[in-house]
Formats: sequence, structure tokens, C-alpha cells
Amino acid sequence: MLFELQDLTKNYGRVRALRGLSVTVPQGAIGLLGPNGAGKTTMIRSILGLVAVDGGSGRVLGMDIRTDRLAIRQAVGFVPEDDCLFPGMNGIGAVAYAGELVGMPTRDALRRAHEVLDYVGLGEARYRKSDSYSTGMRQRLKIASAIVHDPRLLILDEPTNGMDPAGRDDVLRLAVDLARNKGMSLLFASHLLPDVEAVCDHVIVIGHGRLLLQGRIAELEKPHNREFELRVKGDPRAFSARLAEIGIATEPVDDHLLVALPEGTGPRTIWEAAQRAGEQVRAFRPRRSTLEEVFLGAVEEDA
Amino acid sequence: MPIFDQGYQHWDGRLSGQATRWVAIARRGVTVAMGNRWTRLTVLSALGPPILLALFLVFWGLFEQKSSFLTPFLIFLDNLPEELKNGPRGFRTTIWTLAFRQFFEVQLVFPMILTLLVGPDLISQDLRFNAIPLYLSRPVRRFEYFLGKLGIIAAYLAAVTIGPVLLAFAVGYAFSLDFHVVLDTARVLTGSLAYAAIVTASASLLMLAFSSLSRNSRYVAAMWLGFWFVSSIASGILQSTVGAEWCPLVSYRTNLDRIRDALLDSETSWDRMTSLGQVSPRSLPMRPFQPRRRHHRADDEAPRRSPWAPRTYPWEWSAAVLAALAAASLLVLTTRVRGLDRLR
Repeated sequence: MLFELQDLTKNYGRVRALRGLSVTVPQGAIGLLGPNGAGKTTMIRSILGLVAVDGGSGRVLGMDIRTDRLAIRQAVGFVPEDDCLFPGMNGIGAVAYAGELVGMPTRDALRRAHEVLDYVGLGEARYRKSDSYSTGMRQRLKIASAIVHDPRLLILDEPTNGMDPAGRDDVLRLAVDLARNKGMSLLFASHLLPDVEAVCDHVIVIGHGRLLLQGRIAELEKPHNREFELRVKGDPRAFSARLAEIGIATEPVDDHLLVALPEGTGPRTIWEAAQRAGEQVRAFRPRRSTLEEVFLGAVEEDA
Repeated sequence: MPIFDQGYQHWDGRLSGQATRWVAIARRGVTVAMGNRWTRLTVLSALGPPILLALFLVFWGLFEQKSSFLTPFLIFLDNLPEELKNGPRGFRTTIWTLAFRQFFEVQLVFPMILTLLVGPDLISQDLRFNAIPLYLSRPVRRFEYFLGKLGIIAAYLAAVTIGPVLLAFAVGYAFSLDFHVVLDTARVLTGSLAYAAIVTASASLLMLAFSSLSRNSRYVAAMWLGFWFVSSIASGILQSTVGAEWCPLVSYRTNLDRIRDALLDSETSWDRMTSLGQVSPRSLPMRPFQPRRRHHRADDEAPRRSPWAPRTYPWEWSAAVLAALAAASLLVLTTRVRGLDRLR
């Protein structure tokens, strides 16, 4: 178990950030979703023992979030959302310093800093002052600083915020590699659903400080009964017109058609229409819900 | 090239305990500050006064032993009182006390300059670059963060206050060739170390507080200069206009001086010297820096009491002012550098 929270409550004055949040999360790459003000940051801070929770309990990597705060922070790597860096240091110095703050011996921290800077692609810029780095480089520097001590859990809070597409792609590939090839568990908080989809295999959706939904992404993206993705060999527009004649609405998406079957019809209707039109069906499968639909559905239900 | 082509190795080393967190902050800060050549220059320059003090203590040690090495210099000691010349060992504590008092009078400028060079960046830059969350999201408590930052500036201040005191004592002991010197000067040693520690702690805390008040290091430096000079000038103006007993308390420097004189009991030493009748500041082998006179206009030959020691108010007042400044500094620090247990 990566972490489990039981009935977690946290108030900031009159603001109720967490309202009895209970969640149990397995190892792996976990996406954390929620609208603004849902309590994502407070949940992360609770996991790290950075806030004193008002009620409830929790364990992270087997450690209690109330009593083992420092031990948790030693075992976990955290990449904060904000633009932040250690001032006056070059890249290698900043990462080595981050390692020393976690308790690494100075020599190990320096050697490891070289390794992780190479890993995140900042090897060439390691001796440059970190305040001269671009946004993407700073993000990668934060990741390097967070993984310098090889944490068991890496928490990334909005890691692709404000980044250009290339930089975003770099960070996502890095996260995927860490999670899938290096055996590091991730908690990936983002409001960019494609990013979560690209990196994570499990997702948590919270809203108003409560758990709205959780599960494996593959399971949450359920197949639809009446919506299908259809790809044909010939002209999809012509076949779309043929389907319209028999009352089946279609919508072209990329190289295929999205088909919505009306009540009283079934997949067999498509096959029959193709046969009549002399069209060859190359792919025909139920459309699955996107993560966006799952997320919006959960949020709307909560509202 | 994919950015993860270089591979990723797991690290299975051993992490140290919690006690060393602040040391890591302090160590890194000291290293970074040493990169400033002005800091290095100031630290080197600060060796000047303690070397002179050590030379004086060597001179006095040889004088006590009536060493033949001093024969060429005896002409300079002609105007010393006979009592002093005949029994210098009896004046050992007095001379050491006045020597250390004078040393601190001069040396104090170095911790103040170093505070100006090392201190402004300590917290202000962390605030500017939003580094506090980076510290606190690691196993570093706010208290340890403060302690680490305090350690940086305290290390430099101790290097030019406590370090020189220990150096001077070591040299002085070595050349006195008398075991009793340890007992005779115990008060001077403890007083000097206590004063150096007070200067270090007080200036460090104040500068940390100033550093947390702005994200711009220049403003912080200006605050420190203003505090140092303006408080002295204001104190002088108040003394000449209001003339009340509490007026010297306005000056940070005067408060430190008052504590120094109380810890070293330099007043008693000066009284003893002046009781010899022939002694004035000018007749001492190492002429004291001319004092900032306060209520009385002292003539070099006239006063029977120390012209340097501000005896117009109890030293406890100055101690209270310094304690209040330290408390205010802590309050500012805890207010300005907040934890992450709050709404963004």
C-alpha cells in the first residue's frame, strides 16, 4: 500500500479543506485530480506531514502522518508546483544541497547529483546558475532535487504547469520512465487530464475535500453500449451519408467515425449497412469513456 | 536524445539522522558566502587586531619576566609608574583586562562588516526565490532552518570574535611562562568569550530578522547600516539635547560596549591604573582608543575614573535592551518565515 488516509479533516479557519477524506492507494503511478479548491494541495501536504490535520489518520509507506512526519519527508520526494529554487547555486550545487538536506553524506550527494542531472537532461547545464534556467529546466531541476535520494514515492504537484510542449513532453516521459521502468511510485497531481492519462495507471478524484472517485484508469474508462468507433476502408464521408439515411448519426474523428446507435438498433445494423454499401469495415469497437468524461461526471455528481 | 537515456541508478546509501539538518544548511551557507572576495578580505583583515593584541600580550609577558629582549624598548616605558615597573605581575589582570577591552573596541567593526556582507542574502533571497517550501518539504523543521541560517552568520562572527580571543589567550599564556596567569586572567577569558558570544548571537539574530523583512538584499543591508549608525547618531543627539540617563540605550553599539565593560569589569581595572597617579590613557603602552565622552568632558590627565566606561546607567539596562532586540528578532522571524500549514 502506498498510502491510506482515514476520515482526514483539515480546516483553515472557516475554510474546510478536507472533509473526512478517506482513500487507500496502491503502489504505482497515481493521478490526483480535482477542480481548483478541491483540496489536492492540502492532501499532498497532509501526506508529507506539512500540515497538522484536525481529524482522522493516515499512513504513508507504512508511516503515520501525525507522528512520523520527518521520516515520511525523508522517504518521499516532492516537486512543488510553485517556481522555487535554492538561490545563488548552480545546478549541481542545488541538487547536492537537496540531497544533504535529506540526510545524504556530502560526497554521496554530490556524486548522486551528477547522476540525476544527467538523467533529467541537465548534464550540460549543471554548472550554470540555476536562476538562469528556463522554466522547463527549472522543472527538471526540481525533479532532480526530489529524486536525488532515490525516494520510494515521488509527489509531483502540477509538474507541467506553464511549460512549452517540448518541455512538457520531456517531463512526462521522465515521469513515465520513473514509474514504469525504475519502480518509483508517483503521485501525479495535475489538472491536465491527458498528462495524467499519459503517466498514471490509477487515479483519485477529489472534490470539496472528499474522495469522489478512484480506481484504475483502464477500468474507469468504461466501454459504451451505444457508441462505437468505426473505421472503413473506403471514403468515411460517403459511408457516413449512408448511415445517415438509415437514421444513424456519425461524427468524423481523426481517421474514423464516431457512431451513435439509436434505440432499437444494434451493431448488426452497421454490419448490414456496410454490406449494402459494399464497404469494408476495418475496425469496429465500443467507444470507451475518456478520463475527461469520468472526471467531469464525478465532479458534476458532487456538485 | 531522450532525456532519460543516461539511465537512472538506485541509491542505497544511509541517510543521516535529524540532528545534522541545520549543519547542512550552515555548512553550505558558509561555503557560498566564502565565495565573496570581500568576505574573504574582511575575515583576513580581522586577523590584524588579534595579532596586535597577541604581540602586546607577548610584550607584557616578557616585561613581567624582565626579559633582556625588551632592553631596546625600555625607553618607551620610562613614564610608567614605578609601582608598575617594579611589580608588573601584580598588574597582570589589570593590563590584560584593558588590553582585551581595547581589542574589542577596535575588533567590533569586523563583525559588523561581516554581518553586512554575509547576512542580507540569508533569508531575503530564500523569500525572493521561494526556497522556503523546498526546505520545509524536506525533513527540515522551521526551527532547524533558522538554526542553519543563524549558523552561517554566527560562524563568520565567531571567527572574528571568539577565534581571536582564543588565539590571543593561547599566545599570551605561552609567553607568560607562569601557570598562575590562567587563574589571574580567568575573568578576562570568560568575560571576553561571553562578550564575543553575545556580539555573535545578537548581531546574527538581528540580521536574520532584517533579512526576513525584505526580498531585496540591498534594502536589508541598508536596514543594518541604518540600525548601526542611526541608532548611534540618535543616541548622541539625545544625550546632547535630552541628556537623560537612558539616552545611551538608544545606541546598539553603546549597549554592546556597556555589556563588554560589565563582563570584563574594565572599570575596576581602569580605576586601579588611574590610582597610580601617573597613568593616563597616553601613558599606557597601548594607548586606548579615545572614548566617546558622554556626560562629562574628560581631560586626559584629569579623570580618576574610566573615560570610556559609560557608568551613567546600570549594565542591566543594556542587557535588557539586547534581550528585547533578540526577542523582537525571533518574533519577526517566526512571523515572516511561515510554515506551510496555511492556505495558499
